[in-house]
Amino acid sequence: MRTDPDLAADAARGNEAAFAELVRRHQARVRGMSRRLTGSAAAGDDIAQATFLTAWQKIGTYAGGTFSAWICAICWREFLQVRRKTRPEIEFDETAEIIPFDRPTDRQDDRMDLSRALEQLSEAQRVCVVMCVAAGLTHREAAEATGWPLGTVKSHVLRGVEALRKHLAKPEVA
Amino acid sequence: MREEETFQDLTSLFAAEDRALEAKPFVDEVMGKVRRRALMRRAVLLAVGGVGAIVAALQMPGLLGDWAALDNTVVNSIASAQQQADLLASSNPLWLGIAAVVGLCVAAVATMERA
Repeated sequence: MRTDPDLAADAARGNEAAFAELVRRHQARVRGMSRRLTGSAAAGDDIAQATFLTAWQKIGTYAGGTFSAWICAICWREFLQVRRKTRPEIEFDETAEIIPFDRPTDRQDDRMDLSRALEQLSEAQRVCVVMCVAAGLTHREAAEATGWPLGTVKSHVLRGVEALRKHLAKPEVA
Repeated sequence: MREEETFQDLTSLFAAEDRALEAKPFVDEVMGKVRRRALMRRAVLLAVGGVGAIVAALQMPGLLGDWAALDNTVVNSIASAQQQADLLASSNPLWLGIAAVVGLCVAAVATMERA
């Protein structure tokens, strides 16, 4: 099987089939990430699409390393752009313990407990948990993508995971 | 060691959610947009290039006409200069000496510049 960097190199030369393979491989991760960041399947998929379109335009700038970290960093920036358009008056604060972003949540009965538990976290904790736990980025990769200090990311992941386990263990949630 | 190994159970839960997402419609939609953008880009480039080529082609007759006029002007100027030099030389031969000195000076300066 061809590696991500090989496919990216082909895509940079204009090979659409190679890029389609990259989209197929990483769509679940990116869609999962954007859906969890926005709290909405529709808004999340829109961000995921914008992410891959941006990736296609900038595929030539991919300089090796983990492709998932590269694409997740683009997804994070696309999310921030949408967030700024939606709520331009609120700057993102990674230390905030409240949930400042007006998340258009999907109130579906069959929504998984995990997603509901995720919504109980502060925005910063949710971002770090989504990136490091759900999307599989390392703490360092998440810190580089968000621009937050490594220690802050580690702390948010630790507290977020703890809170997530607590919410999942509650009888009314689990 | 990657840090997520300490929360592998949660990672597996998230991964199970993600696996449930259907890939094909999403991939098709993204690639459709990629192809549409590429087509649009090509169309815009062709249109702009075509307009540029037409504008350039429209300028050609005027440009060639100006070139012919310029060519005549240069030829006439050289002929006129030769006539004036002949007149000056026939009226006073000293002008030939002055012209020779000026020519030598110009040649010397040019040689020094190249060195």
